[in-house]
Amino acid sequence: MKRAIAAIIGRELKRMVRQRGRLVAAMIRPLVWLFIIGSGFQALVEGGGQGHYKQFMVPGLLCMVLLFGAMLAALSLVYDKESGVMRMLVIAPFSHYWIVLARILSAAIAAIFQALLLVVVLISFRLFGLDYFGLPANLSLSALGLVLTSLTCATTGMLIAVHSKTLDNFAVIMNFVIFPMFFLSGALYPLEHLPPILKAFALVNPFSYGVDLMKHSILRDVPANFSADLNVGTDIAVMAAYITLGTIVACLRFSQVSVREKLAKALSGSRRA
Amino acid sequence: MAGHMNAAPAPAPAVTTIQARGLRKCYGDHVAVAGLDLDIAEGEFFGLLGRNGSGKTTTLHMLSTLIRPTSGTASVAGEDILARPVAVRARIGLVFQESALDRSLSVEENLQFAGALYDLPPALVRRRTDELLKLFDLGSKRRVAVGALSGGMRRALDIARGVLHRPRVLFLDEPTIGLDVINRRAIWRFLARLRQEQGVTVVLTTHYLEEAVDCDRVVFMSHGKIIGSGKPVELIRSLATSILEITADDAASIIARLKPILGDCIQDADHVQFRVRDGTATLADWQRQLPPVHALALREPDLNDVYVWMNHGAGGTPA
Repeated sequence: MKRAIAAIIGRELKRMVRQRGRLVAAMIRPLVWLFIIGSGFQALVEGGGQGHYKQFMVPGLLCMVLLFGAMLAALSLVYDKESGVMRMLVIAPFSHYWIVLARILSAAIAAIFQALLLVVVLISFRLFGLDYFGLPANLSLSALGLVLTSLTCATTGMLIAVHSKTLDNFAVIMNFVIFPMFFLSGALYPLEHLPPILKAFALVNPFSYGVDLMKHSILRDVPANFSADLNVGTDIAVMAAYITLGTIVACLRFSQVSVREKLAKALSGSRRA
Repeated sequence: MAGHMNAAPAPAPAVTTIQARGLRKCYGDHVAVAGLDLDIAEGEFFGLLGRNGSGKTTTLHMLSTLIRPTSGTASVAGEDILARPVAVRARIGLVFQESALDRSLSVEENLQFAGALYDLPPALVRRRTDELLKLFDLGSKRRVAVGALSGGMRRALDIARGVLHRPRVLFLDEPTIGLDVINRRAIWRFLARLRQEQGVTVVLTTHYLEEAVDCDRVVFMSHGKIIGSGKPVELIRSLATSILEITADDAASIIARLKPILGDCIQDADHVQFRVRDGTATLADWQRQLPPVHALALREPDLNDVYVWMNHGAGGTPA
């Protein structure tokens, strides 16, 4: 099983590296936010004191990379449902829930890889005197944050993927899942100032806990109004519970008889005969 | 009549690799497979023949554990398909109608990926990759992306992928579908080589019935049921020595004239065909006996004819 999982992860990374466009887009997206939105907002909040807004954004933008990277990789299962690779996977000698587990894992790892790439980019900005990212406040906590947040996003993507037939509604998922998850997470502004309803939404959004944990682990020397909103233990517990539960639901769904029969039909190609 | 057409059924297999009893699959009201009994021997080259929608693929998917039968049981390579599906999958190879390859990866990478899924050590995968690529004439394509291969090469690679882990049974679902004649012949040649070298039991489906003539044994399926089985050569021999095909405006008078001599016929508008069991009469002999017709042909029967006449005899439509 180890070889199989390693191969599935290896394939995901190989595909990511070969699809340069996807990787470049994944780096440019957060930088656009940092430089354009960041500059605008910084000017707005500057009145309050020091210019910390861009530093404040960094944990959220790292999480954004995880969110997009993991969700897109996990959602690609929907395309794969009719692909050759899925045929290889369903006939392989392991239970079908392993396919879901391996895909969640590989999506998370691909996302972490992208986040680390962004870290490298941000650190290299220091050469130009742009000090957005220094040594995180707590290195091991940031590592844990990367892992849990990427798994949270991958699980979410997989939950959607195992429930949808096609990705014709991809724009819908983008607009009604990915963007709201990002905007209502505290990535761009502290949660404490949100109106109660939005704050309630933010608190049921598992991604918020990832952003919060990353703020805890990365931010140092920021004013109190820019610091994390929740406590570290809550962040870890909520994400761990969400990942466990979400993974179980996704596995059960994928192993359901009706789902397997539809998959077998799609894979047999008899529709075209 | 149990559907068996020839008098002598194939001898009972020595070691049974696949045994199915009352295998049945329903989708709602639709009965895809209606209670199938099968015994396939170790090393046998077995054909599951029939038109599209006759239940061949569904049977294959049940035997390879992709779908569960509504009722009935089967064991494949000594393992029960319901109780131990993972063990069954470890012992079989399956080649789908459509490619089970990753187009973005190279030939070699695809086999590496497939090998890892079966937990094969990389060195072993490398050795078998060498052997299989040579066997299937793909040696020079090792680093080519699968998306750039021709349809025939891709199918050959797919079969190589299916036997990389040395399965005891190889299931092939329409291995030649969508290929041109040259590539179809190549695929049959590869399968013969593979059986010669590895002695694997091969179970294939095809609706190009005439192609299954090299099988040790075939089963004909129609509407989810077995309507006949036997060795291809014997089935063909017992059908007729040749088939007489006539196209004429006045088919009725042709039938009236030939029926007393040749017996039953199959008529499709102005086209009539008879079975000729006495091989001595030549085309010229027949021509002399008949009024002028549009076309007259005397040809060797094949498995297609066996199937058509089987359906005819069973009172079914000659598909």
